[in-house]
Amino acid sequence: MATTYVAPFGRRRTDRVIAGVAGGVADSLGVSHAYVRAAFITLGTVWGLGALIYLVLWLVTFEKVADNEANPVDPTRAFGLGLSFVGLMLLLAGMGWWPNPALVLTAGGLAFGTAFLTDSSRSGPLAALMDPSVERPSRVRLLVGVGLLAGGLSIFASTVGQVFEFSAVFLAVALTGLGLVVAFGPWVRRLMVDLGEERNERIRQEERAEVAAHLHDSVLQTLALIQRTDDPAKMTILARHQETELRDWLYGTMPLDGVDLVSTALKQVAARIETDFQIPVDVVTVGDRPVDDRTRVLVAAATEALVNAAKHSGGDRVSLYEEVTEEWLEVFVTDHGKGFDQKAVASDRRGIADSIMARMAKIGGEASIESEMGEGTEVVLRLPS
Amino acid sequence: MSVKVYLVDDHRLFLAGVRAELDESFDIVGTSHDVDTAIEEIRGLNPNVVLIDVHMPDGGGIAVVEGVMSTNPDVKFLALSVSDQAEDVIAMIRAGARGYVTKTIDPAELEDAVGRVHAGDAVFSPRLAGFVLDAFAGAIPADEDPELDQLTTREKDVLRLIARGFAYKQVARKLNISIKTVETHVSSVLRKLQLSSRHELARWATKRRIV
Repeated sequence: MATTYVAPFGRRRTDRVIAGVAGGVADSLGVSHAYVRAAFITLGTVWGLGALIYLVLWLVTFEKVADNEANPVDPTRAFGLGLSFVGLMLLLAGMGWWPNPALVLTAGGLAFGTAFLTDSSRSGPLAALMDPSVERPSRVRLLVGVGLLAGGLSIFASTVGQVFEFSAVFLAVALTGLGLVVAFGPWVRRLMVDLGEERNERIRQEERAEVAAHLHDSVLQTLALIQRTDDPAKMTILARHQETELRDWLYGTMPLDGVDLVSTALKQVAARIETDFQIPVDVVTVGDRPVDDRTRVLVAAATEALVNAAKHSGGDRVSLYEEVTEEWLEVFVTDHGKGFDQKAVASDRRGIADSIMARMAKIGGEASIESEMGEGTEVVLRLPS
Repeated sequence: MSVKVYLVDDHRLFLAGVRAELDESFDIVGTSHDVDTAIEEIRGLNPNVVLIDVHMPDGGGIAVVEGVMSTNPDVKFLALSVSDQAEDVIAMIRAGARGYVTKTIDPAELEDAVGRVHAGDAVFSPRLAGFVLDAFAGAIPADEDPELDQLTTREKDVLRLIARGFAYKQVARKLNISIKTVETHVSSVLRKLQLSSRHELARWATKRRIV
């Protein structure tokens, strides 16, 4: 059986300069592309070491099959990797490998400086320190990293020679950097601002498109339907239905992650009854409960009561009131129709009432029905909290 | 003597409709589409009842209510709006409106509401009753004025019955009290809603916004 070769990472197909090696490394490590590129450039000034590593990596990797496999950028890890890279550079310097300190430092400063200025993904090493929403790198890692850095710097200082030489090189690099910032700073800044504005404009357009799509799917359809019907009752129901839907879309309450609420369930039932029976159902809710096995049964019982009110009450509307107090979850289904004489109903024809009461009793709740001839009927469902 | 009514709404089609509906029962003394004209004309005409929308440019209905209340305290405001959002409703009441109805209300009920506001009563739709119950639910801190920050049991009973869709007449019968008593309770609730410490209702409003 042939052994298959698994490459350390995949090279990028798009968004690359030469062969996508830097991008591939960036994607698999979870750091920003710009910084990896800067690292290669800086390493390149050490006798072409960067170029050599690049070539080797190019040879042993393949292009990615799909380009969206980037690992999420992890600023903490990026910070750690950044420190490690600095440590590596200092080690090379300590071993005497730097051909020309000024060259390496200037190249490094330029490369990383550009990366920092243009990196919009905010994932670079410094982002970990500056981004308030990211968790701070663990103290241990920070301490180890700073320790390594300090150790490396002191080795560097001692091997490079006199402190004076060291600071002269640093001064040269600092002045170069300052000159570049003064010369190109405003231009880079404007680029960033323009990019930001473009992004905002794009977001706005996307949102507008989303709103248009929703309105097209819902409101325009309903308005067309309303114009095609002669029946005022149907028009009213169509309009009401659309109104409820639009309100929910505009102001809708977000359900707790994955948890459905009793109030939402009741509103859905009410909307269905409105459409099916062409009768308005007014819903008022005070307080809420998540939907669980018991409240599900309560909603079913409420549905039964609503259907009954819509079908048989003869009234022009139905009211649904839900209230959660400390002791109870209560639901009232009220109609203002013809009502019925409770005493006159024979015990073997109690149908709906028995069904609703039995359901509530099974979950430890209770139900009661009150009716008055000519005034209406009210079904009360109660569930202890 | 006919009740003098003034209408304020920036939605012209709707304004024309309401005007046609109420023209026979009331004396429509004027209309306007914007806040500044409304304040100016109301101050001059001094109508009995003003029907006012919440959402208008330049401050909306609240700006009109506040602008007029200082100079013409006898004018009674009835908010008539598309919105049934708690924030809008509560804000209008606290600004000084004596009632809040939504634009889907049918003409007969609207007429009744205008009459009741004119008589000095508060108009509470079932939904508004629900909002009030929600707003006053929960513990009240001990050092705050219990009078304004709590509903009495009776007031809660009245509000619950209104929320369940009963008219004042039926509420009165179910509680074995007179209609006048029901109206008194509702007016008292209105007063509490208007004057209650900002802390309580602000907390409630914030909680709702988070949901």
